[in-house]
Amino acid sequence: MTLLAVQDLHVEFATRGLDNRLRVAQALNGVSFTVAAGEVVGLVGETGAGKSLTALAAMGLLRPPARIPHGSIRFEGREIIGLSDRELEKIRGRRMAMIVQSPLTSLDPLKRIGDQLVRMQRVHDTAHGAAARTKAEAMLAAVRIPDPARRMRAWPHELSGGMAQRVLIAMALVNDPALIIADEPTTGLDVTVQAQVLDTLRDIVAARNLGALVITHDLGVVAHYCQRVAVMFAGRIVEDGPVREVFSRPSHPYTRALIDSTPGRIAQLGWTVTGGTPPDLYDLPQGCLYRDRCPRAATACLAAPPRIAVSGTHGAACHFAGEAA
Amino acid sequence: MTAVLAIQNLVHRFPGGVQAVNDVSFAIAPGETLGLVGESGSGKSTIGLLATRLLAPTQGRILFEGQDITRLSAATLRPLRARLQVVFQDPWGALNPRMTIGRLLEEPLRLHGGNLAEARLLAERVRLPLATLGRYPHELSGGQLQRVSIARAIANRPKLIVLDEPTSSLDLSVRAGILQLLEELQRETGVAMLFISHDLETVRLVSHRVAVLYLGRIVETGPAAALFETPGHPYTQTLLSAHLPPDPFVALRRHRVQGEIPSPINLPPGCFFAGRCPLALPACNAGPPAMQPLAPGQEAACLRIADRTNRLEPAEDPA
Repeated sequence: MTLLAVQDLHVEFATRGLDNRLRVAQALNGVSFTVAAGEVVGLVGETGAGKSLTALAAMGLLRPPARIPHGSIRFEGREIIGLSDRELEKIRGRRMAMIVQSPLTSLDPLKRIGDQLVRMQRVHDTAHGAAARTKAEAMLAAVRIPDPARRMRAWPHELSGGMAQRVLIAMALVNDPALIIADEPTTGLDVTVQAQVLDTLRDIVAARNLGALVITHDLGVVAHYCQRVAVMFAGRIVEDGPVREVFSRPSHPYTRALIDSTPGRIAQLGWTVTGGTPPDLYDLPQGCLYRDRCPRAATACLAAPPRIAVSGTHGAACHFAGEAA
Repeated sequence: MTAVLAIQNLVHRFPGGVQAVNDVSFAIAPGETLGLVGESGSGKSTIGLLATRLLAPTQGRILFEGQDITRLSAATLRPLRARLQVVFQDPWGALNPRMTIGRLLEEPLRLHGGNLAEARLLAERVRLPLATLGRYPHELSGGQLQRVSIARAIANRPKLIVLDEPTSSLDLSVRAGILQLLEELQRETGVAMLFISHDLETVRLVSHRVAVLYLGRIVETGPAAALFETPGHPYTQTLLSAHLPPDPFVALRRHRVQGEIPSPINLPPGCFFAGRCPLALPACNAGPPAMQPLAPGQEAACLRIADRTNRLEPAEDPA
């Protein structure tokens, strides 16, 4: 069952520079993907590609000067673009919840962990009083926090980074949402802690048949925790498909460049990738946005490439996607 | 051959009782890259600051090109600084925002009377577009700024560059370009490097030898290939097994340990990893374990190595 369906989403920012001239940055340029119940979808790309912006749009959290001139975001079958804050509040934190990168700045430093978990339930009217406390403690246990009864009384500053991230996962899950959006959920954590937190998240998503959108720049997280992946470049999804298919047959030159930039591949292949800057979002070129950096660029690339199917479930927005790379 | 840098029994205690570095010794030869890996709180950045004498150690000795620099004053150190350079993780914080890139490159050259022409050569050397020389740091990308930092570090033909997480804030493809540049510079000039990072894959790619830190102590050291292929210390085994290779076809073989790195205040008398180690013996808590040889050039501080019972149980794929 499809939980989240984003279709041809555009987001732009109109800002005034020092010269008071209005300039428009086209930050998302036609993003489409879906997340179904029981699957973990990875959204991967470099800084400025629009990963976090996509997450914020899906959560209904965009505010002016951000504008959605075009596109659709359907959650559980319902269009959420244009919903009032009142209506969005019934969905956010309730049916869909977000986990962000910096756990310690996302917890209220003046409230005990248990009280914050209870408040989440009270605000959304899912449970109150003793029932809410019992649920809160059960959630801490579910995210494998040792001695949850004692941790209910802990202050945020008493938690390590890994523990704080687990508490944030518990907060996101306490109202039994259908969809989790995790924006770089383990980026600040040490490797051994990262592995434990990701295992916990994956097990809970599977056990409760949730859908999850995981935003990351780490191909290791995509490779081992996601079933499907969407690769973003300059506000577009340039390739999407099952993780194993995309890694074994990357069909967009940017996806290939990303994979070939990992140290393990450099050790095998040598220095094949030359970096470059993404296009100017204030002045987007026509056609393929990766053209300037692409080793395969040709005249055809002056026209915007459609998504070309590589298999029934795998596609890439490249004129040459069907051909052998 | 004299080591470019020799660190002997270094100890550093911060006020408040944090023991960040505990009896660390290593040496770096000319043309060599030593990778220093560890998780947060392992003391890797403190060692970088001590090695460049931006910090003075509590105990121990630091020898740079054979000269004891442990207690030299800032004024006596100054002439050495040209040959002992450092590049930090955050180039935005490391470069004066009010100077143009051209002036930032000229500044270190002035030590030997360099000029703008030399600054241009330097820019070309690190493949920085000449058009950037008139710009200010905020107008450049992170990758370009890190090239400026590296250019400044190599301006006076250093013997050693300490690189503290030099690519950690950069995107994958930009990171590859910086690593390639460092490798090239080392091949051309024979500069030695101390490469500090938490990124295991990057360290493996750039280092000749690697030292693994845990709570300010080196628990294992060896040639990069050997250490990554057959790690000996239970902590090294655990650390490497937690890494997520960017390849869905590589099965994970994870060793599970309990808990996180304990606080560096009130460290135990024995092996610092004993509290989390599935193989710990009563003797592990008696005193700091000595280094035991594992393979040529590879050694680890674990009592279990003596009778080769240091292997953690074959781990399961967590998926």
